[in-house]
This record gives sequence, C-alpha cells and structure tokens, in this order.
Amino acid sequence: MLAVFIAFNILANCKSPLSGVIFYMGQEVYFMATNYKFERLNAGRDYIADNYQAPLSLSDIAKHSYMSPYHFLRVFKDTYGETPNEFLIRLRVEKAKKMLITENLSVSEVCEKVGYISLGSFSSLFLKQVGLAPTLYRRKLWALSTEVCRFPSQAIPACYAYHFLGKLAN
Amino acid sequence: MITSIAHATIYVLNQDEALDFYKNKLGFEVGDDMKVEGGFRWLTVYPKSKSQLQLVLAEPKEGPMFTKDSAEKIRSLIEEGAFGAGVFETENCQKTYEELVTKGVEFIQPPTKQLYGVEAMGIDNSGNWFSLVQR
Repeated sequence: MLAVFIAFNILANCKSPLSGVIFYMGQEVYFMATNYKFERLNAGRDYIADNYQAPLSLSDIAKHSYMSPYHFLRVFKDTYGETPNEFLIRLRVEKAKKMLITENLSVSEVCEKVGYISLGSFSSLFLKQVGLAPTLYRRKLWALSTEVCRFPSQAIPACYAYHFLGKLAN
Repeated sequence: MITSIAHATIYVLNQDEALDFYKNKLGFEVGDDMKVEGGFRWLTVYPKSKSQLQLVLAEPKEGPMFTKDSAEKIRSLIEEGAFGAGVFETENCQKTYEELVTKGVEFIQPPTKQLYGVEAMGIDNSGNWFSLVQR
C-alpha cells in the first residue's frame, strides 16, 4: 500500500494540471487502506478482548482480521506496541487482579475464569507480571482496605486518592 | 525528567453513561474499572493505540476536595460545555467523523481545514467538548 501511495506522489509531482487531483486521490487511497487495515486489526483485538476466557490461538485470532498469522502478529505489534499474546496476558492478569479483590473466589476459580487451565502456569505468570503471587496479592490488598471486597486507596494514584477519598498514602 | 503523561481527568456527569460513550461510541478500551474503598469508582479509558495516556472518567461529588455546592457548580459547568476533554487524533478526520456521526455522536463543527491539519469538534454525552484532529 505504501508503494501505491508513493506512486501517486510521483505522479502528483509531475508538472501536470492533474497533479493536485492525483495527489488528493493518492492520499484518499492511502487513508482508505490505512483505515481498513486498522478496522481489521481492531476486529482481531476485539476478538481477543471478548474471548480472553477461552484458549485462543494466533491463527484463530488472525482469521478475524483476515490476515495470515505472521502478518497479523507483525502489524499488531507495530500498531499497538505489544504482541497479541502480550495483550491477552495483560488483559487476563488485569481481570484476575480485579476478581481476586472484588470477588470471593478461590485462586483456582479465578485462574479458570481468566482462561488458564494450569494453576501453576497462572500463578507464575501473575507473579511475573504483578510482582506478587495471587494469594499474596489478595492478602496484601485486602489487609490495606477498610472495606470487604474493595480495592484500597493505595491501589490508585495518591493524588486521586486524596482528591476523592481524602486519604494520603501511608 | 518527566517522560510521559499517564493519567488526565475528564469530569463526567455519570460514569456508566460516560463509559458507554467512550467505549461504544469512540471505541476506547477500558483501562481500570475498580471499586475502591469509600465508594469511589476508579474508571479509566484509552484509545486503541500505543498511547500511554489514560483518561480518568470521574464524577464531581461532594467529598474531601469539593463541597456539595462546588460539586454542583462543576456539574453545571460540564453541562454548559465549559470544559474540554482534549484533542483526539485520527488518521482520517472525515471518515472518523462520519463513523461517529452514524453512531450518534454530536458534533458542533464538521471537519474543517486548520493551520495544523483537519479538525472536527464534538461533544461527549456529559457536555465536554473534544477535538478530532488529523495532522
């Protein structure tokens, strides 16, 4: 697509009365293609977000963007700054953090609800991403909170905690 | 050295309705949606891109920072359109404008050529103005 855009620009640089029109057409073609690519990519990204609880393969996700797995992987990383798998892991860990604090589920149940089969793999991944094992994360945040199944004020930036809750970090 | 901006606040009238607008109309993703002690809901959204900036959708309520009177004044100012949500960038202002209009987003200025690009001006469902800019 970049080649088409460049070709239009070369034509546009010719000293022809039509050069302005050609340049405009080139821009339109480029924008249309860019938007179309972004829409297809978003379809794949939305598919991940809607199905994070299920086992997902790169080829399944790429199909929703009408791209080959390799092409999807490359364009996804270029566009969003993270791979589809990194996005999936980030999403699952964020959902798990929320469930661990606001719901009275066991760690095994949380693990299953966010799409992992192995508790060991989930715990290792959580530890790597958050810096605490799931049980310790829950214990630490529950101990800090004054209310059951609520995040403590320390979980949000201190300026907001003070602004809305009147609390300064300990 | 400050390297980036992580959060900026948009005051909204109702967090559920604002979430629906920013997620389902503008196509943003939800960053955090957490119930915090004290009844505060920490709600952030961000565009689907490499952007590191998350927008905090917060309701002005009576509390440590606002008296009941000032919270009401701020709500009233939001409705009047006195505040801006900021500038959102797009690769094609005309196309994004048309998509958003189809979704029911209200605009007060269609795509118009400016010195810095093409810009449309819209309003979120609380009353905050925002610019949609193609550079």
